[in-house]
Amino acid sequence: MTVAPINSQTDVTSNALVGIILSEDDAVRNQALDTVCETCSLEQLQTHVEALESFWRSTENLYQRVRALFFLSAIHRYHLPRYFSANDKGLIPFGPYQHLLERRFVEAINGFLAVEQKQGASAGMSSALSKAYHELAFQTLADQVRKSVRTVKGNQWMFRTGHPADQPLRFRSALLTRTGDTPLFPVLKETTAVRMDFTHSAWSDIFFLGMDFPAGAKVINASVNLGVLDRDASPRPPIECYLRVIDQPILRLASIDLKASAEIDTIAEVFDFGRDYLGLIKAAVIAAGIVPPGMEGCGQTIESLLERLIGPGLGLEIVSKVNDIPKGSRLAVSTNLLGSLISICMRATGQVSALDGALNEVDRRVIAARAILGEWIGGSGGGWQDSGGVWPGIKLIQGARAEAGDPEFGISRGRILPKHTIFTNEQITPQTRQKLQDSLVLVHGGMAQNVGPILEMVTEKFLLRAPVEWEARQEAIAILDEIVAALESGDIKAVGAATHRNFFGPLQKIIPWCTNLFTNELVSRCQEKYRDKFWGFWMLGGMAGGGMGFIFAPEVKPEAQKWLQQVMVETKQQMQSRLPFAMDPVVYEFEINDRGTWGTFDPAHPNRMPDEYYAMMVPGWLKLPSHELPHTARYEMEQLGSAYRDCNNAAEAKSFQKLVEGILPGRKSTRTKTESLDELLKRLGFDHEQHESIQADLKSGRFGLPQNRLPANTSIKDAQEEDFVDTRDAIDTQFSEIGARAIAAGEVAVVTLAAGVGSRWTEGAGVVKGLHPFTQFDAKHRSFLEVHLAKSRKASQGRPITHVFTTGYMTHQPIEEHLNLHQNYGYGGSVILSPGRYVGLRTVPMVRDLRFFWEETTQQVLDEQQQKMRESVRGSLIRWAQTCGEGSDYRDNMPMQCLHPVGHWYEIPNMLRNGTLNRMLTDQPELKYLLLHNVDTLGASVKPDLLGLHIASGKCLSFEVIARRLEDRGGGLARVNGQPRLVEGLAMPFEEDEFNLSYYNSMTTWIDIDQMLGVFGLQREELGDVDKVDEGVRNLGLRMPTYITIKDVKKRWGNGQEDVFPVSQFEKLWSDMSALSEVTTNFFVVPLMRGQQLKEQAQLDGWLRDGSSAFVEGLCQWD
Amino acid sequence: MPNPMLLRRFFKHLHRLLVSAIIHPPKTFNMSIRKAVITAAAPDQKSLPLQSLVDRNGRDTTALQLIIEEAVSAGAEEICIVICPGTEENFVKASGELAGRLTFIEQDSPRGYGDAILRARDFVGDESFLHLVSDHVYISESEKSCARQIVELAKRENCAVSAVQAQRENMLPYFGTVKGLREANSTDLYRISKIIEKPTPTLAEQELVVAGLRASHYLCLSGMHVLTPLVMELLEEHVARAPAGTNIQLSPALSELANRQQYLALEIAGVRYNVGVKYGLLKSQLALALSGKDRDNILSQLLELVALHPISGTTSPEGDK
Repeated sequence: MTVAPINSQTDVTSNALVGIILSEDDAVRNQALDTVCETCSLEQLQTHVEALESFWRSTENLYQRVRALFFLSAIHRYHLPRYFSANDKGLIPFGPYQHLLERRFVEAINGFLAVEQKQGASAGMSSALSKAYHELAFQTLADQVRKSVRTVKGNQWMFRTGHPADQPLRFRSALLTRTGDTPLFPVLKETTAVRMDFTHSAWSDIFFLGMDFPAGAKVINASVNLGVLDRDASPRPPIECYLRVIDQPILRLASIDLKASAEIDTIAEVFDFGRDYLGLIKAAVIAAGIVPPGMEGCGQTIESLLERLIGPGLGLEIVSKVNDIPKGSRLAVSTNLLGSLISICMRATGQVSALDGALNEVDRRVIAARAILGEWIGGSGGGWQDSGGVWPGIKLIQGARAEAGDPEFGISRGRILPKHTIFTNEQITPQTRQKLQDSLVLVHGGMAQNVGPILEMVTEKFLLRAPVEWEARQEAIAILDEIVAALESGDIKAVGAATHRNFFGPLQKIIPWCTNLFTNELVSRCQEKYRDKFWGFWMLGGMAGGGMGFIFAPEVKPEAQKWLQQVMVETKQQMQSRLPFAMDPVVYEFEINDRGTWGTFDPAHPNRMPDEYYAMMVPGWLKLPSHELPHTARYEMEQLGSAYRDCNNAAEAKSFQKLVEGILPGRKSTRTKTESLDELLKRLGFDHEQHESIQADLKSGRFGLPQNRLPANTSIKDAQEEDFVDTRDAIDTQFSEIGARAIAAGEVAVVTLAAGVGSRWTEGAGVVKGLHPFTQFDAKHRSFLEVHLAKSRKASQGRPITHVFTTGYMTHQPIEEHLNLHQNYGYGGSVILSPGRYVGLRTVPMVRDLRFFWEETTQQVLDEQQQKMRESVRGSLIRWAQTCGEGSDYRDNMPMQCLHPVGHWYEIPNMLRNGTLNRMLTDQPELKYLLLHNVDTLGASVKPDLLGLHIASGKCLSFEVIARRLEDRGGGLARVNGQPRLVEGLAMPFEEDEFNLSYYNSMTTWIDIDQMLGVFGLQREELGDVDKVDEGVRNLGLRMPTYITIKDVKKRWGNGQEDVFPVSQFEKLWSDMSALSEVTTNFFVVPLMRGQQLKEQAQLDGWLRDGSSAFVEGLCQWD
Repeated sequence: MPNPMLLRRFFKHLHRLLVSAIIHPPKTFNMSIRKAVITAAAPDQKSLPLQSLVDRNGRDTTALQLIIEEAVSAGAEEICIVICPGTEENFVKASGELAGRLTFIEQDSPRGYGDAILRARDFVGDESFLHLVSDHVYISESEKSCARQIVELAKRENCAVSAVQAQRENMLPYFGTVKGLREANSTDLYRISKIIEKPTPTLAEQELVVAGLRASHYLCLSGMHVLTPLVMELLEEHVARAPAGTNIQLSPALSELANRQQYLALEIAGVRYNVGVKYGLLKSQLALALSGKDRDNILSQLLELVALHPISGTTSPEGDK
């Protein structure tokens, strides 16, 4: 297949798909791509691709271009591959791939197309093109949002204000007037609610979707005050911000919740978001125009800016506080905090009309527009309804059609900023509002998950008008009308029924992954216990597991919320090894906020900074010599002292207690932590000698990322046909018979590698990947382990196959408990755990390795602002590594997070050393072969023909490889100096070498047990001899290369806060067995669906849509 | 050989007259502007108008004298100065030989700029009047003084006129700012629809963008107006409505005026200097000197100063050699 030249002049508008994009008729415009393409022949698809390719390049209209790009991406991902020959071999060129990583998407597409013209289409090339179109579509959308935000009137000036002398804002004089004899300037305070989404908008509050289909973008959103049950006396607006002028020409920012403060004296530092935890306040300062975005890179001091803005010698202090509401509450805490901070800054500079009290609609809209800008600047993202806490009460927020005069007109159908219509007390009566409060239990389930992939999935599905999802979206829109009607008639039970139906109906049709086992469990417990008194579940936003709502009949609500608290904690304890929890679940008290964001300023009764502010600042002040202590700080301490002396109530006394605790540190829990880490190391048989030797090599530079690579003169060539057996077409039935006989005779067992936690899967959260209930098969959430056992159940030929799960220090106990609890999922055969015998202690990385990793290896460049943020964070991480000591032990985390598994090469040695294989061979002497595979290779199964092929070859190891797609990075099958073997990506002398390899290593390996034992210098009878086994393992281990890798580790602290640190660890890898001269090897090329691995949750949607999920389900037999 | 610049100005003026005559034919009566009101009552203005300056002709004068002469040049016969109580004597001294034309009104218990103008209500009666602020120096680039330019326009158009200058947005904190629509076939005449006092750039961008101006530039008031008696009525209403103790500004009344009557803004052929800002007096003096007979002398002195005082930390000319 070839694609038309880029400058094709054919009339593309007659093409059916282009017609769909161009149509103004909704019935045509909303047709699904899949419906059109599923019956297309290859030639028809090719014609569509040519037309769309030509169309996206010529159209000026943003949405037409984006839809064409999504169409192209989907055709390459889901439709073209079904026509590719199983044996095609398309290499993905390195040059365009680099363009792709560096976000030069158009160049990448041009490069891929040019190569495709020469070498023909292939699955690999289509995967590359699909990715490039997909990325370009999102980049185009993001650019447009940015452009729209910049061109909103009232925001433009900030982008052209490039020097402090140009700063056109001035502080209100009221903030510069001290009253009485105080040396302090008065404090302006802003309190803001958070927002609660009533209808879950089917994610239609994503900017792109509101701009694409404004009529479908609708939510009901309420501003709510919050308190934590049994902690706070009553609900209050959770967000508080404080601002005052200070006597020093600096910008002082402080976040009470994150216990961070900074004194900033250069403009550059304001734009350095990753430097500390104050990125959000910095983004607000920028978006409010105090340090306008145009000043980035101006090289000036804050003093010169503040002199103009406030006055000579004066500075500004901004403090934020969110009343300990944890992260991931799904109540848009951070966007509303941003809105609150922007509001207070805009009040101070007169950009909104009122210095205190409520805001008017015009002002709120300006703040919402600035909050969008702030989110872009800070590299975060939120929906367009998220600043809803700035508005009062309950409101309908809906997309607005772009009209003449709007910056979006002619570019997108909808405006970036939605319309807000506040429900009056006549529409939703105070009684209804009270009834809602009396029925709804708001909780934070404790899970913290990244919703980013879900938002991308939804955007793509809606823009493609995927039929099921599009229909579900209409259903969700209809449910919104139902909820409005129920609210207007005061029927809370009907509200509950509608939100429940929304969650279990349309929302899960659109994104099956928006629920999880934890949420389902809680809902069924509620249904079980309260039956008709449980009125429904309420998903708050993004995905379930964090902030959620449960609606009960008012008479049981008080009891139910206490019960739910207990049940959530219990369920979390049961599931915490399987699902990523960031904190213990909490129940909130809430009430609807009828004021919106609110400013207080009264020089006669000045606001004080919050008590927690002093608890944070005073210890620092006390450390200063008295001559360095600012007179204002001295004054504030005197005030505190007087207040303490006059204190006569318990609440005040409690706040002073916090202050005293801050000044007089108690025993630190880290001591206990260190001890338990050492105990753990001892218990797990940590090899100090080996660790110190590796550490010394790391520090001396003998080990390191660059040293992982093979010598530069190594010849790396693609494998030739004689190097592998292509099993994708058909395998002779004789092999099938051999395999089937061996299975029936009990000659084969399965070894699933489940020692690691799968750090990419939950982004370093330390959850046992094998136990993660990642998808629903047969209407139940299933874990990886259950799927593997179900495959073995189906593959057994009348005799159950023994199934081994290798475990590690982090996974052994949870897997053991889980399998016991679920009685091995009813598996009829023997299920054996092979616990790890090796553990490593992570080390603080060497700066040179970090630089090599970030600068010398190809990496995905992020979106402009996110990339800036990433670079700033990297600067901080380098400082962190230097401060902690490069190459030193990494101990500053939970003990388990400080340890690391040492690579999958050790899994077979573990089975030798822990006696598992010995016991297996004793119990089942007929056992001859093992199928070893990764926990995430869901398609791997005991397939008789492959087993037969392996047996017939008489070789030691048969590795399964798959045709490489874009995402398959990390080495593959190669001729290394003329010899076929697997080579790891880490070992490639040049990264581009990998792009010359056609096949990727799936890690699935058929093992001839006796031959393998021979490689260790052992025979099956000697497996009981511990010393001999140890010696065999040690000798072979010395011959295996040691790789140094950098892994991201999460450190959790505070209320659901997480930091990610890159740490060094070492690994020995299984695929290097293929390099040993005495090991005889086969390489089987297997179909993609058998060999592909699920590494990230973001892959799930494509995995479901491209038929991989159905393929896996077809291999399974459930209990 | 006629000066091309003068010729261009002449034709521009002629063009404006013709256009104006076609678009806004004169009313049946002529607006007579005999009176001028100068405000000098702000507490920080007590001494500003009394500052000594040397005028374009090398003559010692004061800022006050210059502003009075500006009013006189526009045909003002009677001039009222609104001052702080107890400062009349100083103002008389600083007025030089024009003191005889002056009427002083003291603004006791001051309530802002608008209130200061309102104090002259009895003085102006029901006549239109020229209003100037006392802390500005105007240097005309035309044969006519700046005040004369707006007075002539006001008479011709029979309406209120304010002098405006296009300013970059970083100057917004200092001025009342005008939203206006440029008159057809004119480059310097605008029909005013709204005035906001010292707007933020956010508000200015939303409400005050004027087509035809360069990006980030706004039309700002220049402290010089011809006002109709309606302004006094509006100010009176504002005073009556405003809570006790609040200041009365002129801009809101002017904005209301634009809703009630034709109200024009003229980009004057001249430059306004504010004596009251940092280095304002120095800048005003330099501008006067550089536009007058001592230009060469002052230029050479400036250069000498520059050579003697290089910016610290920068390389001296010798160092470059």
